[in-house]
Amino acid sequence: MSMKFEFSLDKKPDYGFITVKIPAGQTLKVEASAMASMDTNVIMKTKMKGGLGRLLTGESLFINEFTAEKAPGEICLAPSSPGDVDHIYLDNDTIFMQNSAFVASAMGIETATKWQGLTKGFFSGEKLFLIKCSGTGDLWFNSYGGIFSVDVDGDYVVDTGHIVAFTGGLEYKISKVGGYKSLFLSGEGLVCKFSGKGKIWVQTRKVSPMVSFFWPFRPQKSN
Amino acid sequence: MKWSIEGAPAFAHIQMELAPGESIVTESGAMASMSAELDMKANMNGNLFSALAKKFLSGESFFISTFTNGTTSPKKITITQGTPGDMRAVDLKDGSVCLQPGAYIASTEGIKLRTRFAGFGSLIAREGLFRLEAEGTGTVWYGAYGGMIEKEVKGSYIVDTAHLVSYDRHLKLKTQLSGDLISSLTSGEGFVTRIEGNGKIVIQTRSVHGLAGWINRYL
Amino acid sequence: MNVKIEMGPGSAIAKVALAPNETFTAEGGSMVAMSGNMSIETTTHKKGKGSIASGLKRMFSGEGFFMNHYTASANGGEVILSSSLPGDMMVKELQNEKLVVQGGSYVASSTGVDIDFEWQGMKSVFSGESIFWLGVRGTGSVVLNSFGAIYPIEVDGEYVVDTGHIVAFTENLSFTISKAGKSILSSFLGGEGLVCKFKGTGTVWCQSHNPQGFGQAVGPKLKPRS
Repeated sequence: MSMKFEFSLDKKPDYGFITVKIPAGQTLKVEASAMASMDTNVIMKTKMKGGLGRLLTGESLFINEFTAEKAPGEICLAPSSPGDVDHIYLDNDTIFMQNSAFVASAMGIETATKWQGLTKGFFSGEKLFLIKCSGTGDLWFNSYGGIFSVDVDGDYVVDTGHIVAFTGGLEYKISKVGGYKSLFLSGEGLVCKFSGKGKIWVQTRKVSPMVSFFWPFRPQKSN
Repeated sequence: MKWSIEGAPAFAHIQMELAPGESIVTESGAMASMSAELDMKANMNGNLFSALAKKFLSGESFFISTFTNGTTSPKKITITQGTPGDMRAVDLKDGSVCLQPGAYIASTEGIKLRTRFAGFGSLIAREGLFRLEAEGTGTVWYGAYGGMIEKEVKGSYIVDTAHLVSYDRHLKLKTQLSGDLISSLTSGEGFVTRIEGNGKIVIQTRSVHGLAGWINRYL
Repeated sequence: MNVKIEMGPGSAIAKVALAPNETFTAEGGSMVAMSGNMSIETTTHKKGKGSIASGLKRMFSGEGFFMNHYTASANGGEVILSSSLPGDMMVKELQNEKLVVQGGSYVASSTGVDIDFEWQGMKSVFSGESIFWLGVRGTGSVVLNSFGAIYPIEVDGEYVVDTGHIVAFTENLSFTISKAGKSILSSFLGGEGLVCKFKGTGTVWCQSHNPQGFGQAVGPKLKPRS
C-alpha cells in the first residue's frame, strides 16, 4: 500500500479547492497552472508529459511536480474551470476520466490518453478523449459544474457532455436518445449508455453552452 | 442596518435592510433590486483626481452610488457584483484593508477608498502599479470570482498572482518566478507573489484569467 | 412528478422522480442523466401535438424549438435536468394560476401545465430580458432556472428590479421601465441606467446576477471571433 496524503476539499461544488499536505521529501504531480498558493519550502519542477495523444486533447504538454523540501509543506490547488473537485484512492485499480479532469495525483498513478475513436467523438459534439489513470495512490479530479456520483448496477444513461469519470469495470456504448426523430430534434445529441457494475461521476453542467454564451462578448478579429 | 450575504460562494449577494435615515455606498451598477422608495444618488469616487486614479489605476468605477432611506420605515435593497463569486465583509475600526483591483463592492459611510502606489513589483505581476485601500471606521464588502478563503501568513507564503484578493496593509508583497526560469515559462504558473510578514490574506479559489484560459481551449 | 433541487445556487440540478408510466415535459438539451428505461418523444408542443408555429414562438422566447416528453416505465424512474449556464433552479407548484417567465428560464413542467408565448409590450426591449416572455399556466409543477441565485420579493406597492435580473412574476404584477434614481443623470452615472418598476401585489423572483455583466468581464480576455 502506498502512502495516503492528508488533504481537504473546500468551496464545493461551485469553486472546489484542494489543499494537500505534502510530507517532507514527498512529491505531488499537478496539472499545469493549477497551483493557487503554497508554503515557501515547496519547490516546483516542470516535466514533459509523455505521449503524442496530449497534442490532440488540448491539455498542457507539461506537468508540474511539487516537492516539500526539508519540512512538510502545504499546497493549494485551484482548477481553472468553475466547478467541483473530488478525490479517489486507487488501489491497483483503473478509472477513466474526461480529458481535462485531471488535477493532481500521487507519483504512483500513471496516466495515459485514450482516444475514443472518430464515431464516438464525432457524434457527441465534444472531444471525447479519456485519460486512463491506473496504479496505486491518491488522485484528484475536477469538473465544470457540480459532481454527483451514481452507483450503477444494470443500465444507466448519461449525456456524453456530462461525463467526468467512471470506474474501469463498466461497459459503455454511445447511443441515441429516444427514436430517430429525437436524435436530431431533441437537442440531446448522443448519450453514453453504461452497463455492468461500477461508479460514474457526472457533472451538472456542459461546456458547449458556456462557450456559446460568450460568443457575443468576444473581441472581433480585425483585418 | 441589517444585512446578510446569501448565495455564497457561487453567486454571493448582499440582502440588506436600511433603517430610516441610513445610507449604503456601492460600486456603480451594484444594485440588483430595491424598494422603490429608496433614493439613489451617483457621486464621483472621491475628488476628480482620485476618482480618475481609481478608474484608471486600480480598476474601480469613476462613479459610486449612494442609496438612502428617507422614509420612516425599514427598506430593502439587494447588492451584487459583476461576476459570479464569493463575498466577505470586514469591520474596520480606524483600520484599513488592501484590496485587489475590482474587488470593492460596498461600504458604510465612514469608509474612504484610497489609491496607493504598490511598487514596481506589481507591474510585472500584471496586477497594476496601484492598489486600493479601504480605510476608516465602518463595514466594507468586497468580493471576487471563485470562493474566498482566509489564510494566516506566518513568516512567508506564496500565492499565484491571480488568486490574491485582499491582505493586511503591513504585509510585504514581492513578485518572483514560480520555479527556475525554464519551469516558470513552461509550467503555466509564471510569476507568483511572495508574501512576507505576519498577517491575514484572502485568496480566491478561481480567477477570471484562469476561466478565460479554460474557455479559450475550446475556441 | 416529484422534483428535488440540489447543488444550488451555483451548480443546480433538478432530480425529477416519476411514478410508473408518468410523463413530464422538458426543454430540449436539459437532460444530464436518467434511468436506463425511459421513453422519449420529441414534439414542438404538448405530447402528441405541436406545430411549427408553437416551436417558433418558443424560439423567440429564447427557448429551444423542441420539447422532450419523458415517460417512465412500469417501474417509475428518474431524470436529472440542468440548465445551460451556472446558476440556480426552482420549482413552483401552480394551482390554476399563471406565471410570467423570462424567456430562457423555463426548464420543465408536469402535464397539467401549459406553456405559451407571452407579449409584455415594447418595454421588454429595455428590460434586459428577451423581448418575448413565456406564460406558464395551469395546475402542476414548473421548473425554472436562472443565472445567479434566485430570491423571491413579495411586492405590495412598488419595487425596483434592475434590468437583467427578472426570472418570473405572478400575473397580478405589472412592470414599467423607469430610472433608478430621482434624476436621469444620476441613474446613468450610477451605472444603473434603466430599471423595471413593479406595481401591484404578488411575487417577483429575481436572479442575483446579470449574465451580461459576466460576459463583459470575461469576453475581452477570450480569443477573437471571426
